Amino acid sequence: MQRLLAIIWLTWKAAFRFKLFLVVAVLLLLSVIALPLLIKDDGTARGFTQILLTYTLSTASGLLGLSTLWLACGTLARDIEECQMQVVAVKPIARWQIWIGKWFGIVSLNAALLGIAGLSIFCLLQWRASRLPEKEREVLRNEVLVARGSAKPASVDKEIDAATDEALQDRLKKSRVEHADLTEVRKQIREQIKAEYQVVPPGYTKMWTIDLGLAKNYLRDQPLYLRVKFNSADKSPSGTFGGLWLVGVPKKTALWRSEVMSLAPDTFHEFAIDPNLFDENGILTIQFVNGNDTALLFPLDDGMEVLYREGGFGLNFVRGLGIIFCWMALLAALGLAAASFMSFPVAAFCAVGVLTLVFASGTMANAVSEGTIANYNAEKGTKGHSPADVIVIPTFKSVLKVISLARDFSPIDSLSTGRSVTWAQLGAAFAQVVLLLSGCLAAFGIFVFNRRELATAQATQ
Amino acid sequence: MSSKWKKILLLVVAACLLTGVFQVQESMNHDRDALGLTRVQPLENAPPVLAFTTVALGGFRGLISNVLWIRASDLQDDDKFFEMAQLADWITKLEPHFVQVWLVQGWNMAYNISVKFKDFSDRWRWVDRGLELLRDDGLRYNPNETLIYRELAWFFQHKMGANMDDANMYYKQQWANEMAEVFGKKTPDLDELIHPQTDDQKRRARLLREKYKMDPEFMKEVNTRYGPLEWRLPEAHAIYWAALGLEKAKLNPTKIKEDDLITLRRVIYQSMQTSFQRGRLIANPFIKSFEFGPNLDIIPKVSAAYEQAAKDDEKNRDHIEKAHRNFLKDAVYFLYVNNRMADAANWYKFLGTKYPNGTLLDYQTNSFPRNVSLDQYAVSRVQVDVDETMSRDRVKAIIEGLLANALTSLAIGEDERAAGYKLLAQKVRETYFEKTKVRGEALAISPLDDIQREVVNRMLDPEHGVMPEMRAVLRTKLNLGPEPPAASASTNAVPSLPVSTNAVSERASSK
Repeated sequence: MQRLLAIIWLTWKAAFRFKLFLVVAVLLLLSVIALPLLIKDDGTARGFTQILLTYTLSTASGLLGLSTLWLACGTLARDIEECQMQVVAVKPIARWQIWIGKWFGIVSLNAALLGIAGLSIFCLLQWRASRLPEKEREVLRNEVLVARGSAKPASVDKEIDAATDEALQDRLKKSRVEHADLTEVRKQIREQIKAEYQVVPPGYTKMWTIDLGLAKNYLRDQPLYLRVKFNSADKSPSGTFGGLWLVGVPKKTALWRSEVMSLAPDTFHEFAIDPNLFDENGILTIQFVNGNDTALLFPLDDGMEVLYREGGFGLNFVRGLGIIFCWMALLAALGLAAASFMSFPVAAFCAVGVLTLVFASGTMANAVSEGTIANYNAEKGTKGHSPADVIVIPTFKSVLKVISLARDFSPIDSLSTGRSVTWAQLGAAFAQVVLLLSGCLAAFGIFVFNRRELATAQATQ
Repeated sequence: MSSKWKKILLLVVAACLLTGVFQVQESMNHDRDALGLTRVQPLENAPPVLAFTTVALGGFRGLISNVLWIRASDLQDDDKFFEMAQLADWITKLEPHFVQVWLVQGWNMAYNISVKFKDFSDRWRWVDRGLELLRDDGLRYNPNETLIYRELAWFFQHKMGANMDDANMYYKQQWANEMAEVFGKKTPDLDELIHPQTDDQKRRARLLREKYKMDPEFMKEVNTRYGPLEWRLPEAHAIYWAALGLEKAKLNPTKIKEDDLITLRRVIYQSMQTSFQRGRLIANPFIKSFEFGPNLDIIPKVSAAYEQAAKDDEKNRDHIEKAHRNFLKDAVYFLYVNNRMADAANWYKFLGTKYPNGTLLDYQTNSFPRNVSLDQYAVSRVQVDVDETMSRDRVKAIIEGLLANALTSLAIGEDERAAGYKLLAQKVRETYFEKTKVRGEALAISPLDDIQREVVNRMLDPEHGVMPEMRAVLRTKLNLGPEPPAASASTNAVPSLPVSTNAVSERASSK
C-alpha cells in the first residue's frame, strides 16, 4: 500500500509540476463563472437552469476528459522516455503497482477537480435559484432541481404475443401461408394488435392504470406529473389536437379533470396533476378523451409516464458526478494503456482517436441499423450492398456493444431534466465503466508495461 | 548576383505583385459581388466578437455551423428546447449573411417549436423569439434583404393574425398589450411619437424605435397609404414590414428578384383584406379582453391595393383578380349586414361592372351580378356562412350586423322585427358554437350580450354613432337613461388579461 501511495504522490507532484492541476482548476472555475454570462437561454428560469447545468457539466467533463488523457499519457510515457521510470523500476516495487499507482493518482486528481467544479456548479445553481421569485423557485424545485422517479403502465407484450399467436393460428386455418412468409405475416398481425392497444379512435376514451409500487408510501400530498406523447393519423390545420384528461376513479379516489389542452403530436407534454389521486394499492387510473376528428396513437413504450419526486437534487447531483467520475477513470486507464507501449505523442494521438471514435459512434450505429455501409435510401427503404459488409457490420456491432457499456449513461441529461440518477445506475456505471472496461484496459496496459524493455526507450527531446 | 541584390530584387518583385493585386482587387470584388459568388461587404453593426469570429474562422464557419445545426436538430427531435435559442444564435452569427439560415431558424422557433408547448404563454415566448431573431439580428446584419422582411411580415400576418394556431388570440392579446406600452393605453397617435413632447412620449417613441425597430414616420406613411390601420393588431405590422421591404428593395434593385417583391405585395393586400374583415379593436372591460369588428372604412384602399397588385403582377393576375372579386363580394356583404345599404349598393354595382362574368354564389352557375339582386345575394351569403364556413370573423360580422339591424328596428318601433333579428343572431351564434367547440378558445365568439353591448356602444357613440334622436329612443327602449352631457375621457385601451392558459373559458363554453 505504501508503494502505491508513493506512486500516487509522485503523480500528484507531476500534475502540480506540469501546472496541470492549477490550470484545469482555473479553467473549470472560469467556465462556471463565464458560461452563465455568455449563454442565451429560452427566457424561463427552468430553461436557464437546464442550459446552465448542461453547459457547465459538459464543459467540466470535456476539460477534465482532455486533461485526464493528456496527463495519463504524459505521466507514464514521458517517465519512460526521460528514463525516470528506470530509476523507479529498480526500486522494490512491481510494475503493476506503478501502473495502478499512476491510475489511482490520476483518478484521485480527477476526484478533486470534479469536486471543485461540482461544488461551484451546485453553489451557483442554488444561488441563482435563491434570487428567483417564489413561484419560479417552486417550478425549479418540482421540475429541475429534484430527483424524479417514473412509473409506466405494465408491459402488455405477453398479451400482444398471445393474441398474435391466436390470430396467426386462425389465419393459418383459413388460408395457407408459405413458410418463408410466416415471419412477415406474424409481424404484420402483431403490429395490428399492438396498434389496437395504442390507438384512441375519434370520440373514444383510452384508460391506463399505473402501479406506483412502493413509491405510493411517500407520495401522499405530493404532486405528480404526467408525461405523455402521441402520434396522429392525420395532420391538424392548427398543428395541435385537443385533449381532455381525467385522473382517478369515481367513488374510490379523488378525481382530477383537465381543461381541454391544445397538444402537438410527436412531442412530449408534461403537466402536473393533483396529489392523492391513486388508490390504497398505489394504482393511478388515467383516461384520455379524444374529441378530435382523427385517431391518436399513444406509443406503448413512451406514450404515458408518471413522474414523481423521489429525492432531492443534492444527492442526485452527487450521483451524476459519480458517473462522470467513472468516465474519467476510464479515460485515465485508456491513456495509461496507450502510454504503456507508445511514446507520448503517439499515445496521446491514439487516445484522442479512440475518444473521437466513441463520439462518432452514431455513424456506426446507422450502418448497423441499415445493415450496410453502402448507400441506403431511407425514403424507399432500399439499400445497397458492399462486399465489406460481411466483416464491417459485425465488427461495428461488437464495437458499439463495448462503447454502449460506457455511453449508455446520461447523467447530464438526467440532471438537467430533473430525473433521478439512481444508485443502481451509479453502481452499474461503476461495474461497467470502472471495473469492466477500465479493468480490461488496465490488464492490457499492465501486461504490456510488464513486458516492455524500459532501457531501450529514447527520449523525445 | 550577390545575396544583397537578390533580396532587393525579390522585394521589388513582391512590391510590384502587391501593387498589381491591389489594382485588380477592386474589379475582382466587383465581379464577385455582381456574379453573386461571395459576399464582399464587411459585416456591419456586428459586435467585436462576432466580427472577429467571422473573419478568423474563415471557411470553417460553415463546418461549425453544420455541427451546431445537427445538434439543434437532434435536440429538437428529443423535445429539448432549452438550448435552441443559444444554438440558433450561434448558427446565425456564424453565417450572418446567409439569409436562409435566418429564415429557417426564425421559422423553426415561431412555428415548429412554439406549437410543441401546451401553455400559450410558452408558445408566445417562442413566437416572440422568432420575431426578435429576424427583426433584431437578421435585419441588423442584412438590412436590405427582402426575404427577411417578407418572413417577418408573414409571422405577423399568419402566425399571429390568422386563427390556425389555437393560441392565436393569446398572441393577439400579448401583442396588443405590448403595443399598449408604446401607444400609451389609448388609440394610437403616431404624431406624438414622431414629435414627442413629454417625457412619457419620448420614452414611448424610444421604445418603438429601439425595441420594436419601427420608425413612426414610416408608420404614418403606411397608415396614410394603406389605412387607417389599427396598430395594436398584427395585420398593421405585417403591412409595415412588407412595405418597408419594398422600400429597401428600391435601394438594391439589381439584386432583387421580382418574385420576392410579389410576395411582399401579397402580404400587404392580404393583410389589408384581413384588416377589412376584423381590423377594428373593441375593448371589452367587462371580460378583460377585446373583440374585433370589421373596418369598413378601408374598403376603397383594399380594393385599390388589389387592383395595383393585379397590375404589377402579370403572372398571377388571374389569381389576384379572383381574390379581388372575392374581397368585393365580402365587402358588399359586410356593408349590407351592417346596414350600410347605400355603400353596399355602390360596391355591388362596382363588382358587377368589374367582374360581370363571375358568379356570386357557390354551385349556382347562373348567379352573375346581372341576374342576382343585392338582397338575394346577401341573404344567400348569410346562409352559406352560417351553414358551411367556420370563419370567426365572418360569423362575428354577421352577428354584429344582425344585432345592428335589431337595434335599428327597435329604434324605429319595429319591435317584432327587432326580436326576430336578435333571435336570428342567437341562432347563428349557436350553430357556429356547435361546429367549432372542438377548437375551444381558438375560434370562440363572445356571448351575444357582450357583442350587443359593443354594437350598442357604437350606435350610441355621440361622435360616430347614429343620429341624436335615434340615440335617445334607443336609450329609452334599452333603459340606459339619458345621454351624459359630454363624452367621458375613456380610451380604447386594451385591458390586459391575467396570464392565460389554454383552458376553454366559460365564455367559449357557454352557448
